[in-house]
Amino acid sequence: METMVQLDNVSKKFDESYAVENVSLNIKSGEFLTLLGPSGCGKTTTLRMIAGFEKPTSGSIYINGKKMDNIEPYHREVNTVFQSYSLFPHMTVFDNIAFGLKMKKVKKEEIEERVNKVLKMVQLADFGKRKPKQLSGGQQQRVAIARAIVNNPSVLLLDEPLGALDLKLRKQMQLELKHLQQELNITFIYVTHDQEEALTMSDRIVVMNAGKIEQAGTPYEIYEKPQTRFVADFIGETNIIGGNVTEIKENYAALEFGSQEVYVPNNNYQTGEKMFISVRPEKIHLHTVQQEGKISLKGRVKEKVYIGSLVKWIIDVGNGNEVKVQQSASDVEDLALDTEVFVSWNPDNSVVLKQ
Amino acid sequence: MRQRTKRILFGYSLLIFAFFYVPIIILMMFSFNDSKIGTVWTGFTFDWYVKLFSNTQMFGALQNSLYIAVITTVLATILGTMAALVFHRYNFPGKKAIDFLFYIPVVIPDIVVAVALLAIYGFLDMTLGLITAIPGHVAISISFVMFVVLARLAGLDDSLEEAAKDLGANEWQTFWRITFPLIFPGVLAGALLAFTISIDEFVISFFTTGPGSNTLPVLVYSMVRLGVSPEINALSTIMILLIVIAVLFTGRKMISPNKKGEE
Ligand SMILES: Nc1ncnc2c1ncn2[C@@H]1O[C@H](COP(=O)(O)OP(=O)(O)OP(=O)(O)O)[C@@H](O)[C@H]1O
Ligand SMILES: [Mg+2]
Repeated sequence: METMVQLDNVSKKFDESYAVENVSLNIKSGEFLTLLGPSGCGKTTTLRMIAGFEKPTSGSIYINGKKMDNIEPYHREVNTVFQSYSLFPHMTVFDNIAFGLKMKKVKKEEIEERVNKVLKMVQLADFGKRKPKQLSGGQQQRVAIARAIVNNPSVLLLDEPLGALDLKLRKQMQLELKHLQQELNITFIYVTHDQEEALTMSDRIVVMNAGKIEQAGTPYEIYEKPQTRFVADFIGETNIIGGNVTEIKENYAALEFGSQEVYVPNNNYQTGEKMFISVRPEKIHLHTVQQEGKISLKGRVKEKVYIGSLVKWIIDVGNGNEVKVQQSASDVEDLALDTEVFVSWNPDNSVVLKQ
Repeated sequence: MRQRTKRILFGYSLLIFAFFYVPIIILMMFSFNDSKIGTVWTGFTFDWYVKLFSNTQMFGALQNSLYIAVITTVLATILGTMAALVFHRYNFPGKKAIDFLFYIPVVIPDIVVAVALLAIYGFLDMTLGLITAIPGHVAISISFVMFVVLARLAGLDDSLEEAAKDLGANEWQTFWRITFPLIFPGVLAGALLAFTISIDEFVISFFTTGPGSNTLPVLVYSMVRLGVSPEINALSTIMILLIVIAVLFTGRKMISPNKKGEE
């Protein structure tokens, strides 16, 4: 697939600090790409540079192969769905959606036809004559999306478009948006700080932190193979274990963890080297007896929480260290607090992190 | 105790209203009084209105006032709105100082403006006429327009303009289709302010118009020097009615200059 949007070493400096620093990214045509990261990490700024509302301090942005350095927002083949919707309050829903087409001097009959078509698509066929104020949040959201897609943009930029909606509507709109994207085959660049939303909707996720890209990859890669501590910690729950390599045993390196030991697949590690690994709670098992020849950390049940089908445990493994475990409720015996247990996992299920 | 406070406040408000409106009501009443002296009620008449409408001198002055007020309103509204847009949108060196300069016309005594203008006209060797009053009127009303429009702009969501540009509207289209309709109530309120300031302005008009180009307040002043004629009561009554109508007409928009999303 060809590249639709390219960010080439883009930085943006506000006053003396970087909001976005040396970001390079290729976004393919038809891709659903999500920028994910904590508040203030530069997601909106990145999006605004692509839309043309901010000029990069250095680096260049290419859309459809064209360099955007001095191209005004109104000459870019992108449309934006703003976080606050930004519907024009003095115009009807119909006129809001027709605005972009009017600016392009599309014929009146064609405008009417296209607007009515998208109104139907977002299930607001009877709402054309209303003012934005007379709509619910979810309906305004749909108008904002309709106003953007009616122009058949090559790229749609969405800045936390579902941020203001309640959970149920949010889930429903996530599905609708995803369907819409597949149906129209538009490139979506989607901003969110909700990791679940990112995981369910995206073809590819770009995790940002403090203006830089931490990792880019499919939802599976981001979740299962986080490369940095930040990503492992930010996406889902995890156990991060840091320790020195004490010895190399065949294919495994042993890592001290408090007074006990865990193993990771060896990859030219040196004895004495300090390293960090991440193990997801759902990859960890609880036993009441010591497991031979495996990772088997002795600990005590410190806390257990039932959340319907799952049970979350916190196991105190000594030296002030804790391990979070998550299991399906039917898989475990009901262990009382303070029971002695053994925690184990397959070393291949742990991920070694970059600092 | 609280009940009493309420009653005192109510009485106090009544007093204030009386202070505002009793003189006006008396003035309006006496415009229908069938007596030339105008201090005792002798009977009902429309005579003074008839006389007023046949007073060509008065009509000439009214025309002069309207002429100045309309030009002043147009100029002050355009310049004030543009200034507000610049202030809202751009940062430039010396912005604070220039902002301060816009407050000066509001507090400066009109007499200072009048004398300063006279000095300039003298220096330029210009003959005083009707239009020589306009620069002074514009100068004192421009700041008011700017403040009202600026208040409206402050309540405007910047992302609306970005949304318009995102949809392909250039700067010009964005202004006329989005920004202007949304700040229009403020612009209208500013225009109304400029108009009322100009129409009853006395000091500047008195000093900077030439002989024979009296504005209405200046004419009224010269007439009143010879005693208050009931004709002037009639004229005042008409002016009050016109202003009440104008305010009712634009009132709703002036009351909520910061509300977003209305028509
Ligand atoms: N116009 C601006 N002037 C100065 N600093 C800015 C400006 N816009 C953004 N910043 C700064 O740049 C950084 C990144 O902001 P940005 O809005 O891109 O964050 P974000 O990732 O979108 O966060 P959020 O999830 O809270 O929306 C922040 O530290 C912010 O304070
Ligand atoms: Mg943001």
